[in-house]
Amino acid sequence: MFAHGDIETTTRPAMTYSPNDLIKLTNCRLALGDNLIPGDLWICASTGKIIDQQTVFYEQTIRPSSVHDLGGRILAPGLIDVQLNGGWGFDFSVPTERAQDFKDGVEMVNRQLIKTGVTSYLPTIISSKNDVYEKNLPFLSQPKDRNPTSGAESLGAHCEGPFLNPFKNGIHNKSVLQPPVNGISSLASVYGAANLRPETIAMITLAPEQPGALSAISELSKLGIISSGGHSNATYREMWHAVSSGVTMVTHMFNAMEQPHHRSPGIFGILGAQEGLKRPYYGIIADDIHVHPSFVRVAHGAHPEGTILVTDAMRMLGLPDGIYEWTNGERIKKTGGKLTLGEGDTIAGSSVTLVECLKNFVNWTGVSVAEGIKTVTETPAKMLGIEDRKGTLRPGADADLVVLNEAVGGDGQLMLTVEKVYKFGAEVYNAGDKARL
Amino acid sequence: MRLIIKENPASASEYVANLIAARINAFKPTAEKPFVLGLPTGSTPLKVYSHLIHLHQSGRLSFRHVVTFNMDEYVSLPSSHPQSYHTFMYTHLFSHIDIPASSVHILNGCAADLIAECSAYEAAIRSYGGIDLFLAGVGADGHIAFNEPGSSLASRTRVKTLAKETLVDNARFFEGDVAKVPKLALTVGVGTVMDAREVVVVALGANKARAVKAAVEGKVGHWETVSVVQMHPRAVVVVDEDATTELRVGTVRYFREIEEEMEAGGAGVVTAKL
Repeated sequence: MFAHGDIETTTRPAMTYSPNDLIKLTNCRLALGDNLIPGDLWICASTGKIIDQQTVFYEQTIRPSSVHDLGGRILAPGLIDVQLNGGWGFDFSVPTERAQDFKDGVEMVNRQLIKTGVTSYLPTIISSKNDVYEKNLPFLSQPKDRNPTSGAESLGAHCEGPFLNPFKNGIHNKSVLQPPVNGISSLASVYGAANLRPETIAMITLAPEQPGALSAISELSKLGIISSGGHSNATYREMWHAVSSGVTMVTHMFNAMEQPHHRSPGIFGILGAQEGLKRPYYGIIADDIHVHPSFVRVAHGAHPEGTILVTDAMRMLGLPDGIYEWTNGERIKKTGGKLTLGEGDTIAGSSVTLVECLKNFVNWTGVSVAEGIKTVTETPAKMLGIEDRKGTLRPGADADLVVLNEAVGGDGQLMLTVEKVYKFGAEVYNAGDKARL
Repeated sequence: MRLIIKENPASASEYVANLIAARINAFKPTAEKPFVLGLPTGSTPLKVYSHLIHLHQSGRLSFRHVVTFNMDEYVSLPSSHPQSYHTFMYTHLFSHIDIPASSVHILNGCAADLIAECSAYEAAIRSYGGIDLFLAGVGADGHIAFNEPGSSLASRTRVKTLAKETLVDNARFFEGDVAKVPKLALTVGVGTVMDAREVVVVALGANKARAVKAAVEGKVGHWETVSVVQMHPRAVVVVDEDATTELRVGTVRYFREIEEEMEAGGAGVVTAKL
């Protein structure tokens, strides 16, 4: 069934299709808005995009020659993770001796990551010395080609630091933290002036209360780079000014910031801001470790259009329990899904997948699955300003898709598993195939 | 004329879908000799379409050799607009069945030359040898297609100005703004419908009761264009109980008895049973 009125259509297809190029995904429940709507989606293997099926039907009088029956499963846009530090033993913040090894490592992560339903993401570099940015950023930029077999696609890097507040460093090494005293020039000297373009750096996390930060933020918005407030002890008022200056995102809400107090709400309080302020989007780690489920629900209730689930997962994602080397000679302990720094109990990122976060989020908040899906598709795409091509099932968008199986466990909790993944219109992962091998 | 009275909208719609399926299957259509079907839009045929889809999906009906002609379309509304009849038909029927896209005909309200578009539409119908079955709904005021009160009973496919009442009524589909409702439509004429070898009119609900009275008990006239079905050699009017409330008791009883006779097989007429 075609979802009447929910899929916008354009007046004319930009090109002529051959039935052999088109795939009809049928018997799906389409994640559209806040509802799962029974329907079909047409995609084009050669353009890698979602097709305006009605217009092609009437004006080109063709139907797709290939039909994939999804058996009533959920069809959602591919998931988007805007904070991922690495995985499968590879770390985006650690340069390798040979540049080729780093390139290979990123490509390996891309191919693994897509199997988790994440089709595009922001590879994240934590606070590092200047040479790290110089060496690693070129391999973390947006790819120039559209190759489905490359796996998950970078939407540009996320530089988390080093312009953070040393009192809220979390696991970032304090010795590399610095204030952006010269505004955008400070950023250029650390990241490299040529890297200050959204194709290379999509987003920068910085502490807005640091000297020079507000000036850097307004320059970044002119460059089209997202400023996210985080690792910060900004007060509510400081955050209010930061948002007025161009901060549109908050990095992992509740973590590495002043905790909300009813007379001093801090960064969290910005979710209740009025005074004509456009409230920022906010990342939140719904791994059942970083934030209590109750506060995830409170945040979403306060500003549902801003919720973006992030994993903040790192290279231990997919590895067994144990002690692992960390950057700058420190160590991280992995116990199940929990990662802690050294022998202490400072939380050090996560090793959770985004679909697990989504499952937790839906169970904790009681929102519909479709509304939950928005927090990992449409909302991050809007935050990045790419909602016309990512995070949506509308015609013209990239055919990056995930097929989810929905089940209810013995405890009555929702379970979500990734059944299939499409990248640029090509099926690149099928859980059923793996099971048959 | 036959008047078929069913208990509720669902049973009436199912009857109509079964009747259409029986006609198509009995016709044994082929690529050379397709079955030609006229189709309406609106809320009335929705359940008919969903039952046709069900019949198709359960393997009892194929549209591979069916050619369709729709009744009408707004002028200047892009075919991809959510309220266009193109969108309606794609959403509620064509996307779910096996009809070839090239067998579907809907008037193009965005054509540069609307008069030529209308003539070409009539010519296309003729090229298939005419319409085998025209399914029609009826407006509360007794109009069929966009042939509103006063339309010529001999009219052909043409451009029509919509009545103010229709504009106001349709504003709910255009963000409640009458100014956004197209003022013109292309529509098949009363004569075009009458040329079909069989006409099936569906009317559901109490607000269609006056139209049903006009169709069944009224005099033939251009004020309720649906009344012209009285002149058709093979017309079926299918209604639910609520749509009979303006009919005389005797009328209802008369048609019920006839149908009971037919159901019993006394008249030897092909019924709508699959």
